[in-house]
Amino acid sequence: MHTRNLPVLRLLAAALTLALAGCGALGVKPWQRDLMAREDMRLDANAIDASLDEHMYFSKEASAGGRTFAGGGCGCN
Amino acid sequence: MAARFASMGSPCEVLVATPDPQLALRLGQEAAAEAWRIECKYSRYRPDSVIGRINATAGQPIELDAETTALLNYAAQCFELSDGRFDITSGVLRRAWTFDGSDRLPEAGLVNSLLARVGFRRLRWEAPWLQLRRGMELDLGGIGKEYAVDRAHALLGAISDVPYLVNFGGDLRCNRAPPDDPWCVGVERPDREGEARLLLDLERGALTTSGDARRFLLRDGVRYGHILDPRTGWPVVGAPRSVTVCGSSCSEAGLLSTLAMLYGAGARAFLAEHGAPHWIVD
Amino acid sequence: MQLKRPARDLRRWLVAASCGLLSASVARAQDGGDASPPADDGPATVVDTALAYYHESDGRVRAIEPIVSVHRDYGDERAANVKLTFDSLSGATPNGAVPSRKAQTFATPSGKSLNATPQTYTTASGNVVVVSAPIYIVGPGQLPMDPNYHDQRLAVNGSYDLPWDRLTRSTFGADLSYEHDFLSASLNASLARDLNDKNTTISAGVNGEFDLVQPIGGSPVPLSDYTLFEKVGNHSKHDLNLVLGATQVMNRHWLTDLSLSADRFSGYLNDPYKIVSLVDPGGNVTGYLYENRPGTRTRGSVFLENRVATDRTSVSLSLRYMTDSWAIHSQTAQLKLRWWNPDHDRYLEPTARWYRQTAASFFSPWISSTTTTPLSYASADQRLGAFHAIRGGLKYSAKWADDTGPDGSELSVRAEWYRQTSDNTFVLPGALQGLNVFPGLSAVLMSFEWRFNW
Repeated sequence: MHTRNLPVLRLLAAALTLALAGCGALGVKPWQRDLMAREDMRLDANAIDASLDEHMYFSKEASAGGRTFAGGGCGCN
Repeated sequence: MAARFASMGSPCEVLVATPDPQLALRLGQEAAAEAWRIECKYSRYRPDSVIGRINATAGQPIELDAETTALLNYAAQCFELSDGRFDITSGVLRRAWTFDGSDRLPEAGLVNSLLARVGFRRLRWEAPWLQLRRGMELDLGGIGKEYAVDRAHALLGAISDVPYLVNFGGDLRCNRAPPDDPWCVGVERPDREGEARLLLDLERGALTTSGDARRFLLRDGVRYGHILDPRTGWPVVGAPRSVTVCGSSCSEAGLLSTLAMLYGAGARAFLAEHGAPHWIVD
Repeated sequence: MQLKRPARDLRRWLVAASCGLLSASVARAQDGGDASPPADDGPATVVDTALAYYHESDGRVRAIEPIVSVHRDYGDERAANVKLTFDSLSGATPNGAVPSRKAQTFATPSGKSLNATPQTYTTASGNVVVVSAPIYIVGPGQLPMDPNYHDQRLAVNGSYDLPWDRLTRSTFGADLSYEHDFLSASLNASLARDLNDKNTTISAGVNGEFDLVQPIGGSPVPLSDYTLFEKVGNHSKHDLNLVLGATQVMNRHWLTDLSLSADRFSGYLNDPYKIVSLVDPGGNVTGYLYENRPGTRTRGSVFLENRVATDRTSVSLSLRYMTDSWAIHSQTAQLKLRWWNPDHDRYLEPTARWYRQTAASFFSPWISSTTTTPLSYASADQRLGAFHAIRGGLKYSAKWADDTGPDGSELSVRAEWYRQTSDNTFVLPGALQGLNVFPGLSAVLMSFEWRFNW
């Protein structure tokens, strides 16, 4: 089982290295951050909306979280 | 015709393309008066200057005049846009570093303790009120001379429209070229004083040069130039020996050449990206 | 000093900034001396308030949820956040049983028998008080729901952002949530580091949650006969959640985020109020059992989000795949658009979301009364069944400058519509045919939000 997993792990590691190396060519300079600085490009913006939505998904679906902690803190599920 | 004087620790001159010596003298006097005014107002060596008073506030808020407010707002924007590389609070780091060509690097502990007193974000700046934390200091050396050139240039323009060139210690700006041929500007070799490496024709705009001249430390084969990165407290590695940039104003060219040095080994790529005419000596 | 909209090109910006520098000082206005030093009120504080109203159709759950969140920025990238949430829910909630051709009688959680005789008490003064029995009767063909469901929840969340150095920052948080039958406490910590000129951010976070389940009337014995009311004690459950994330600025317009999340739940994972019907081969309901779920659940997910912005618009597409040891697999896709007005002080934001999940391995909408194999786990909770859900919404937001702070105030209104449709493929026996065993769900959510500086 373990030996069979190794090639997969190696492939994953190779893909990750490639992805990270590729990052060198990505990105912007600080003065090109005008759009990135806008609220709709910030991943943590709209925390209130996100908490209302997450609460609803947590109580009505079997999946929750993903990008943030899934903690529901409610007895509805 | 040329008028020469000394200000801000550098030789300064105003070149005027006119046969009228009276006019040349008047322009020279105006430019010198402005240079001395700015030197008096912003020198960090004078306790009675605005900078001297700011650095003596010891944590108390101080209200700044309109001109200083504009300069601080400009410095704040430079800080943001350079992602913290350009920082008018970085002067205290010089206490750890003496660039005398020796191999004496400072102790890491000293640099780190000074680093706690560096950072534009640590200032409280609500124009026109400024509050420094105890132990912090401002130094407008990185923008003051260029600002003085731009100011003098503007003042002369209000007096006359003859072609003139303002040169304060190698940072220069002209209004237009004399009718027959452009201004010829020589840029010194960083390693040999008085020897022009580069001759440039300037028709209009500004030219600034940043370099590490003869100020460096050498240890284990690594050359530490005198440009300090305020984010680490250490010299920028791999910076060129000098960078000359052409821009429309002296402040613009000056910030580009200073930032290029702060980008170290990335100076060439930085300048290439911005398409400003530039000359680099490695 | 925050640059709201830095120029796209450094040189162009520099020309403007140095021109501004000169004109500002050449004009050198003589300011009157009426300015005063900034009051030493310390940090900047932003308050978010929201009022949400949630409403399910067919007389099911309604909820009103006011939220107040205070964000205090101490500069130096240190910040504290405290959020207070109050929930008030009421309405009817399915108890897990299937509809039947006959009327069905159930007890509310506090009930101790299915006897419809009203209970009487004689008070000290000799008065006889008649209390209606804690039961409810569901008509033929109707979905069994407890009509008296109500709950209040008070939650407090706190977090503190602490920078380590210029590129590394940490966040510590604690959450506490209280309901009369449920208490939840959690602690979390996360660490984020910027790389690559702040174009790449990697992060790792861990959250530990402890829940105390104190069902009304006690916790039913799993899989016990509903009519015996065998209920005893309280239980606890735990969740350990790890999240790893990587965010990359691809170019000036494009941001991408990849997150991996793993959860391990253990303890009492049952819903103490849910039952499962016993159905004979003819489709007749013969009784009910309390549900039972495995005592552990591990869950993993991959989340990928891409955002693209242009001058006055932005688009966000997020995809999530989640799977757990209960054999539930889910896929989620969400698309968000935003249109700004030319001044960037108002926007319109439509959202569309699609979700699908498979059923848990032990999901059984009913249990055959003739089954001979021993039963270990069973739940008829529709949330563990197979279904897909769509959601659409629209948000409008307006900001205006005022003297409360540099960013002014912002008012938003949002409406969302949600519908779940069953994908269960069970063959209905005899009398159950034609009954709405998998009714699905539809709901609306409205919220008003007001943000101001304090």
